[in-house]
Amino acid sequence: MSKKMFSFLSLLVAFAILLAACSSPAATGSQTEPAAAAGGDKVTLRVLVHQNPPMVAFMETFNQKFQEKHPNITVDMSVVNANDLSTVSQTRLSANDIDVLDIFGFANGAQPYMKMVDSPNWQQLIEAGLLMDLTGQDFLKNYDENAIKDAGSYNGKVYSINLGRVIYSGIYYNKQLFEENKIAVPTTWPELAAACETFKANNIPCMTAGGKDGWPIFVGAYGLIGAMYPDQAALVEGLWNGTIKWNDAKSLEMWTKMQVYARDMMEEGASGIAGDAAPGRFASGAVAMFPGGSWYAPAIEAAQPAFDWGYIPFPGSDTAADNQYWFGKYDQGWAIASNTPNKDASVLYLKEFSDPANYQAFVDAVGFIPTQPTAKLNTKIGADIAPFLGNFRVGYEQYWIAPKGAGQFANPWASYFKPFGTDDDPKVLADKVQADLQAGLDAVK
Amino acid sequence: MSYHFGRGKSKWIPYLMLLPGLLFYFLIALGPSMATAVYSFTDATGIKGAPIRWIGLDNYREFLFMGRASVDNLAALQRTLIFCAAVTLIQFTMGLIVALLVNQKLRGTNIFRTLYFMPVILGVVIQGLMWSLFLYPLGGPAAKLLSLLGMRSEFLGGQPAEAFAWVIFIQIWANMGTTMMIFIAGLQTIPSEMYEAARIDGANSWQVFRNVTWPLLTPSVNTNLLLNIIGSLQAWQLFLVLVGYRNGTQVLGYLIYATGFGQTSGSVSSSFRQGYAAAASIILFLLVLVIGMSVQYILQRREARILG
Repeated sequence: MSKKMFSFLSLLVAFAILLAACSSPAATGSQTEPAAAAGGDKVTLRVLVHQNPPMVAFMETFNQKFQEKHPNITVDMSVVNANDLSTVSQTRLSANDIDVLDIFGFANGAQPYMKMVDSPNWQQLIEAGLLMDLTGQDFLKNYDENAIKDAGSYNGKVYSINLGRVIYSGIYYNKQLFEENKIAVPTTWPELAAACETFKANNIPCMTAGGKDGWPIFVGAYGLIGAMYPDQAALVEGLWNGTIKWNDAKSLEMWTKMQVYARDMMEEGASGIAGDAAPGRFASGAVAMFPGGSWYAPAIEAAQPAFDWGYIPFPGSDTAADNQYWFGKYDQGWAIASNTPNKDASVLYLKEFSDPANYQAFVDAVGFIPTQPTAKLNTKIGADIAPFLGNFRVGYEQYWIAPKGAGQFANPWASYFKPFGTDDDPKVLADKVQADLQAGLDAVK
Repeated sequence: MSYHFGRGKSKWIPYLMLLPGLLFYFLIALGPSMATAVYSFTDATGIKGAPIRWIGLDNYREFLFMGRASVDNLAALQRTLIFCAAVTLIQFTMGLIVALLVNQKLRGTNIFRTLYFMPVILGVVIQGLMWSLFLYPLGGPAAKLLSLLGMRSEFLGGQPAEAFAWVIFIQIWANMGTTMMIFIAGLQTIPSEMYEAARIDGANSWQVFRNVTWPLLTPSVNTNLLLNIIGSLQAWQLFLVLVGYRNGTQVLGYLIYATGFGQTSGSVSSSFRQGYAAAASIILFLLVLVIGMSVQYILQRREARILG
């Protein structure tokens, strides 16, 4: 080979590799689809949802019907763990790799009394222009105006339709075990503690939770916080301005009860149970109670259809009248990527989902408290929720943003206590939690 | 040695042929690293289209000096060093012992080599799943073994120190095969005549190891030490899969991931803080750089002293 030919070939190889390295994957994949969005052209609609078994099951059925009705549209649905939803949403939105996405109800917005806090991720996505403005879409009229305003709007524009509220401050209880052990359904903390003692004395674990996922242990105790501090927005403001402290007398009572909850009420080994598996464990009849969100009800029913259970507000207070609140949040919603090449198909997807008949089937399957005023709370759990639904409050974690500089213990989490954590003295823990919070408040002064 | 590419313009051909590799390195490795350094001085969220503001050293100040969070960060840094020391020491020692054992000319050594190396080819998720099942506190195999002794544990979900120890163990189990293979490759380069000469001189097994095997394994020792140290300083995936974000267990690598992708508060609305995470990454990089360079300097001097 001559030197000139060798030089030429070397140059050619160098340029080929350079071009290969510089080419964007986005330019070769989904970007070829925009023109195919409308009309009868083939469209692949990329949908992202978080892992919630009854919801995923419903969505698979809905997608199938949607595809049959619109043969030119193929729904490519991805399912991710709830903990990973925000990360996956962010990366796929940034990569223009998603059309319709599941987004939790807008929460944790910065309040005027909060200093130096970062915007929540949904606000960051909107400000970056990644979510489509849905204002004026016809299907919005199907939803409760307040739900649209509170859980899907920002700066006067609508970016998400919220599909339902959920409660996370309740306890599922096994009716048969309660009857067999002659225990009345508890309405106060002493009654709950006594019930657990009786169950344990009869070798029946009192409570279970999906501790492997971390959050179910402390979310289960959010009802306890609610019973102590029914006005959760005021609690957050009080913590920020120092009128409420995690180590004052009232909070100390809360920590003392949390220790009992973690140490004495929760079954041994709960830390290894995955969030998805906890409803099945409760439905197996092995444990008496299961503090958890209303979204678990369909999974319990699916696991053991004949299993007889009830759902009560967490009786965290010594006074029954204080234990008649539900605390929860706006759960799943739909948003559309602003850069979607399949805008028409995405809007059509939301429109069909929002059809009252489809929406009713959704809330029946998933057990959400509906955000469409015409929808009915038909589910088994609905009957237990209904008596206290007038006392529904948005929960603490939907308001709370920790000040920068706060330590890692600046949260009211029952999982700090043994056997899940290292603490076994409520007073010591209360002081530690307040010190971690105070460090953050001092740092942003 | 003669120069194959002649003189004049053709002498540039070797450099031209290096160019694609260099460009690839700049694009894939150096470019993102430089970008991370720049990001660390901004409030970048990692969200495409979001405004990015230059905030100077604020991220570093917050990470190192702001409130109790900085104390927690320094604790994570300390935990990273403990993790590194424990993993390096045990993985290196066990890898060497196992390599010496399976390097014998005995029947079945290939089976054992395969068995010891097998965890390396499993992905982190599979490794995590396997151990989560083994350590399932409600009747898993480990729980049953403990119950025979009248004991019980929450394993990965219980005391942070215990969970941390389990991650160290699993990290070693997952990566010891690589250490072993590098040692085996090193052992097989040692001429058998050296061993024969030592035996003729009357050396016992320990003396053979100390005066023949160990010095001649120096290149493998150096490679393994550096790989173990750097790998364990940067570890984070097993923490994510096995433990998640739990107080008292985070190492710096996982803290960076959790901060960058909004998984630190237990709330689904946590903000993305990739500028802050970039600053933490640079601190980790500096840690790896200082430790890695120091170790490499010491090892090179040792290698020069032993092998000349």
